[in-house]
Amino acid sequence: MTTAALFILLFGCMLLGMPIALALGLSSIGTILMFSNDSIASISLKLFEALSKHYTLLAIPFFILSSSFLSTGGVAKRIIRFATGLVGHIKGGVAMASVVACMIFAAVSGSSPATVAAIGSICIAGMLKIGYPESFGAGVITTAGTLGILIPPSIVMLVYSAATEVSAARMFMAGFLPGLLMGLMLMVVIYIVARYRSLPSLPWVGFKELLSSGWSALGGLMLIIIVLGSIYGGIASPTEAAAVSAVYAFGIACFGYRDMGPMKEQPWFKPGESLGAALFRNSWQITLALPKCIFDRDVNKVLMDAAKVSIMLLFIIANAMLFAHVLTTERIPHHIASIIVELGLSPWMFLIVVNLLLLAAGNFMEPSAILLIMAPILFPIALQLGIDPIHLGIVMVVNMEIGMLTPPVGLNLFVMSGITGNSMGWVIKAALPWLCLMLVFLGLITYIPQISLFLPEYIDKLKGY
Amino acid sequence: MFLKIVNKIEEGIIALFLVTCTLLVFVDVVMRFGFGKAWIWSQELTLHLSAWMVLFGASYCLKLGAHIGMDAFVKIFPSLGRKILTGIACVLSLIYCWLVIYGAWIYLGKVKMLGISLEDLRFIPTWVAHSILLIGFIFLGVRLLILLWTVVFGDVEVFRHADEAKESMAIVEELKKEGMV
Repeated sequence: MTTAALFILLFGCMLLGMPIALALGLSSIGTILMFSNDSIASISLKLFEALSKHYTLLAIPFFILSSSFLSTGGVAKRIIRFATGLVGHIKGGVAMASVVACMIFAAVSGSSPATVAAIGSICIAGMLKIGYPESFGAGVITTAGTLGILIPPSIVMLVYSAATEVSAARMFMAGFLPGLLMGLMLMVVIYIVARYRSLPSLPWVGFKELLSSGWSALGGLMLIIIVLGSIYGGIASPTEAAAVSAVYAFGIACFGYRDMGPMKEQPWFKPGESLGAALFRNSWQITLALPKCIFDRDVNKVLMDAAKVSIMLLFIIANAMLFAHVLTTERIPHHIASIIVELGLSPWMFLIVVNLLLLAAGNFMEPSAILLIMAPILFPIALQLGIDPIHLGIVMVVNMEIGMLTPPVGLNLFVMSGITGNSMGWVIKAALPWLCLMLVFLGLITYIPQISLFLPEYIDKLKGY
Repeated sequence: MFLKIVNKIEEGIIALFLVTCTLLVFVDVVMRFGFGKAWIWSQELTLHLSAWMVLFGASYCLKLGAHIGMDAFVKIFPSLGRKILTGIACVLSLIYCWLVIYGAWIYLGKVKMLGISLEDLRFIPTWVAHSILLIGFIFLGVRLLILLWTVVFGDVEVFRHADEAKESMAIVEELKKEGMV
């Protein structure tokens, strides 16, 4: 009865087009008022505490901030140059380079559609120029772009750990190998296709160019190194690492790369300037420019963009915690779990059900919304069936990746259709073979938990637990 | 003009919350690694600032249409049907706001009566620190009323939701403008 009321209210409100945060809040409060004795004052307190008691949640706005500083075309261009130097000379190398670029940019930006937009708009044009079929490039990049939520740091993983109280640091460790594996799988398939269809490759650029492009991409790469290094090494929590990365991203975007902000288009070295003079000029220029950032238009825009997304996400999370509270007090997951046990469903069958459920949901809702609704339900059931919560988290994230490739909500499809100017149908067809590869990957991740669990367990062992 | 100023003030406050939060945690990390010291009040302050940012900003995001939701179902209907469904959704949202406002009012009253203050920032009474729950939801209610008004008398048909795909296209525009594509 309670369960029915909760879900009917929730889905009813969502169908009406209400913002998901409000739909979650209203259905939870409504159910509590109808079926339990909690006072409304205590519910209000719970809503506030959802925001003021969870230090890990703060990582979300900080990571969003750092990614909005670095999710720019300029950064994408540098990463692509480096990736092309790295693998461009292999057969099918240009497509492989776009996969590598997607992996790096995905880690920096943490967003899949942004990755597709940035890498896609540069790489597809490049691939067309040397004679790749457009649909091939479009399919590869639409799919590789989904890595944005799997390769850490990932905002979707933070949302999962907020919904289930699984350690975000461990999620970040768990996502790393699956992300690499998926990238490798894509590249192997590209290589085979390129051999078969004899697609062209670029000449080897030489070590000098590789080093210089690596140096120019280092600004973005360092972000990954800082974040993952400090989290894996156990010296900082994800929240602290996120704050450092936000400040670092600001510094790199405004003073390192100078793609935006008060020092835009000021070169590090003017022609004919000596090293000492350049250092001197740059240091006083940076000192002068620092206070100017407060009123700078670019910086303010990045700030507001990040604030908007953070507020939206955190507001949903706060309301989702009310929802999770109702689920726990009404023991809804517990009831479902006992039904599942009675049916004699084994863990692997349960995982199939999870996959089907999430794939279906992925067709209609945004990843973070799905996670916030489904994770509190699936998590206790999985625990009872002896499935590792980290493994479940990675399975859910990979499902969300696939959701970005399936209509009608598949964000990556929309972006790709926008970039290439082709119809949605064309993009869906281009992405279809790669979608099948993703399904194989999903199978691997679901039934070989060691892929996700190896790294977190290995790091635990290193630390001597 | 007035609306423009309100807009600027709202943006300023939100940005200030975000920047202060980030810098507080950053400085905390630097202090811990550089000097082996830490401010005990830093974490509580950061958490409250972020709560203020979210609750204060929720109504601003509603105005911008930055929340996410599903509009596929509503869009099946013709104009009038859309308006009716969105109107119902507005009223339901208002009921939610009212419930939280009512609850927050009782809660804040009780906390004020008890006279308790925050754990680490002892000079701030809890009811002041938590008052944003009331303020934020009042703002949200006002924005919902405005939205309801425009649904009934204006030309708004559905809730505006954030579209991450469309926002990502900004990067493409930027690249095109700089002639990189």
